[in-house]
Amino acid sequence: MSGRRVGKGLALALGLWMLGIVGAAGTGVARAAVGVQIETPAEGQPVFGSTEVKVQVGPGEPVTRVEVYVNGKLVGTLTKPPYTLKYEAGDENVQREFKAIAYSAAGQAGVATRVIKPVQIDDVMDLKLQQLFVTVTRGQERALDLEQGDFKIHDNGKVQQMVTFGKGELPLTAVLLIDSSESMQGQRIEEARRGATAFLQGMKPLDEAALVMFSDRLLKVTPFMEDKAALLRAMTQTDAAGGTAVNDFLYMSLKLLEPRLGRRVVILLSDGADVHSVVPMADVLWKTRTGQAMIYWIQLEGGEKHHSFASAWRNAKENDKEYETLQKAVLESGGRIQRIDKASELEGAFRSILQELREQYVLGYYPNDTKKDGRWHDVRVDVQRSGVRVRTRDGYVDF
Amino acid sequence: MRRTRSPARYAAAAALVLLCGAGTARAQDPNDPFATSGVTVTDTTGQAGRRQSNDEVQGRYRKILAAWAGGQTEKAAADLMALETSVVRDSDAGSRKKLLKAEEAVIHEIGGANIETLVPVAMLHHEVYRRYLTMGAKGRSLLLVHSRGMTRDLAILYKQQSGSEGAALVSSRILTSLGGLLQQYAQQLPAAEMFYQALELDPRNSAARIALSIVYEKNSQYQSAVDVLRKVLAADPDHAEAKLRLALNLKRLDKAGEAQKILTELAAARPGDWVTSLAIQELARLYSEKGQAANAQKALEAAIARFPDDARLYVQLAAVLDHKGEMRAAQALMEKVLALPPSPTSTTASSRLLYNTTRQETFEEARHFLDENAHSRLPLLAEALNVPNHAAIAVRVGS
Repeated sequence: MSGRRVGKGLALALGLWMLGIVGAAGTGVARAAVGVQIETPAEGQPVFGSTEVKVQVGPGEPVTRVEVYVNGKLVGTLTKPPYTLKYEAGDENVQREFKAIAYSAAGQAGVATRVIKPVQIDDVMDLKLQQLFVTVTRGQERALDLEQGDFKIHDNGKVQQMVTFGKGELPLTAVLLIDSSESMQGQRIEEARRGATAFLQGMKPLDEAALVMFSDRLLKVTPFMEDKAALLRAMTQTDAAGGTAVNDFLYMSLKLLEPRLGRRVVILLSDGADVHSVVPMADVLWKTRTGQAMIYWIQLEGGEKHHSFASAWRNAKENDKEYETLQKAVLESGGRIQRIDKASELEGAFRSILQELREQYVLGYYPNDTKKDGRWHDVRVDVQRSGVRVRTRDGYVDF
Repeated sequence: MRRTRSPARYAAAAALVLLCGAGTARAQDPNDPFATSGVTVTDTTGQAGRRQSNDEVQGRYRKILAAWAGGQTEKAAADLMALETSVVRDSDAGSRKKLLKAEEAVIHEIGGANIETLVPVAMLHHEVYRRYLTMGAKGRSLLLVHSRGMTRDLAILYKQQSGSEGAALVSSRILTSLGGLLQQYAQQLPAAEMFYQALELDPRNSAARIALSIVYEKNSQYQSAVDVLRKVLAADPDHAEAKLRLALNLKRLDKAGEAQKILTELAAARPGDWVTSLAIQELARLYSEKGQAANAQKALEAAIARFPDDARLYVQLAAVLDHKGEMRAAQALMEKVLALPPSPTSTTASSRLLYNTTRQETFEEARHFLDENAHSRLPLLAEALNVPNHAAIAVRVGS
């Protein structure tokens, strides 16, 4: 088979070889007057780092040189077979167009191109494991005798295949989010410290916690750590003062938990409602729905009485809505609100939450109908036992 | 908001007492229950003690004023509190009336000698009112009503009887300062009454106007707040706090265009104080609400460059980036938050907290003015009481 010139009409005899190119390379490859094709990188091959560019030229008229371009820039000229070079692509996930131009002795040329699209990261997210942390109670007690076969997961009404099942052994990552505003001064902040201390001391190896103490400002934040002593030290160094910005620092806490894996929880202790945040509670709800962290809210001394008030930032109706949205975020996350009347009950509240976390079932599944369309997926977990109550997150945003 | 009482009414009531010859003349009236029954004295635990005659109360009050005139600030304030507490009980509404009559009798006497003496006497009652507030209202409701009423009525009476422009300025500032105390203790509507009256006496009193706008804003009366703030800016076009408050009230009235213009100007032109920081936060929020995430991002990035230690700016920017789908960039901001220096607990307040409170700095000018005016009149008070005036002598010697 001899080389063919472009413009003389592509005769049927152009040959099976050329047809082979078209078939192999699809839309990314052009026909060549001098027979040429790009063998590597192949169609769909991710291109990062050192990349071999291998060009094949057809039999027939001798080729004197092959020029290789990436995104229009000449990266090498090859004068003899094998027409292969190394190209340093770097680690940027971008589209790259590879072009090879083969020149014959007679001055004719053939061109082949291959477009490598960026890797679709979202494809990986399709495989995101949804983990459900499920609290099951029978009367006032938690039901601890259930097995995998007792649970059935529904995602948007469709039964899902459970791929992981566990009990309380999964390590815990917690943010202790402590309201340290002026109203917490005195005994309250002392009791809060005592309660948080009880929680930290109950942590097991591999559990980690971060401490966030806030008022209308961020007063203290630590990284996640297993070091209980360091966390306890951080807690004692902060006094209570200022206003309250629950939304801002709850958002921040959820954000801190976002890259973590496994069982994630925010334990919010606050005696009042938000006054001074810039982030609306609707954003916190959205963050809750797009993440997998649970929120437990220890509401000290009738926080519900405090929410109906006006400030320069929101009127009473708007504050009521913020409060309701916080409640919604807590409940949708699979957590709960624990109301306590006296600061002296705080230690018990922290302990009971830790105990509950230890006694949760952990169910994992890969949703079979994700579209990344930002829509809400209802999640329901049924337990095939009578007389039990089941609590887990209400769903998630397909994001 | 409607006014329910006018300064003229207060003045008329107070002037009536002054002009009708209360005090010793009334003590001889057989129909005066004050003169016949005396006053029941209570100890600090609220136990009823011996009865105290009108003359005795007047005598004690006169000594207290003498101590005040002599520069014994602490003793005078403490003794007046002791006297009032010994006479007035919340359970006996008539007890306040008896105290009022005794104090008015003395004021009638010294005010008749020199009307300027009313200024230091008003300031003594102002100081006592402030102290009652810090102690809390429990068991002191009538005392609070009494000391506030005395301060207010003396201020209005002084203006009415003097009639000078200077007296109007002094009286206006006494009422402004009282309103500031009320606002500090979240008594918005009584505070508004004070600010109204202050403005009637001196329409150029910008502290009273700013404070009144905050009352309107907290009561969702945004148009009224805008009207008041425009008057402040008409008198002082560079008043940054008034501009900020005007912008945020305009936004509430769906006048986002004008609000954005003002916020942009504040964000760009002002130095790095709380007004600037807040203007940027609110400008970014306005952009976000309008769906202009890129502008919000730009504003917040610029803000972080100016206020690199403000954790809230990072959280707000993270929320903006999350909504743009730039989760990793948002996450990187959290790493920066973890590296921020700890926030000082009690020495600073966030810009959002400052906005929600009437800053006591707003009233500083008024209080400084009052201190000077009260102090300069102490010799007159001493003269009216026929006692030496060590404070005045000290001032003369010192100066």
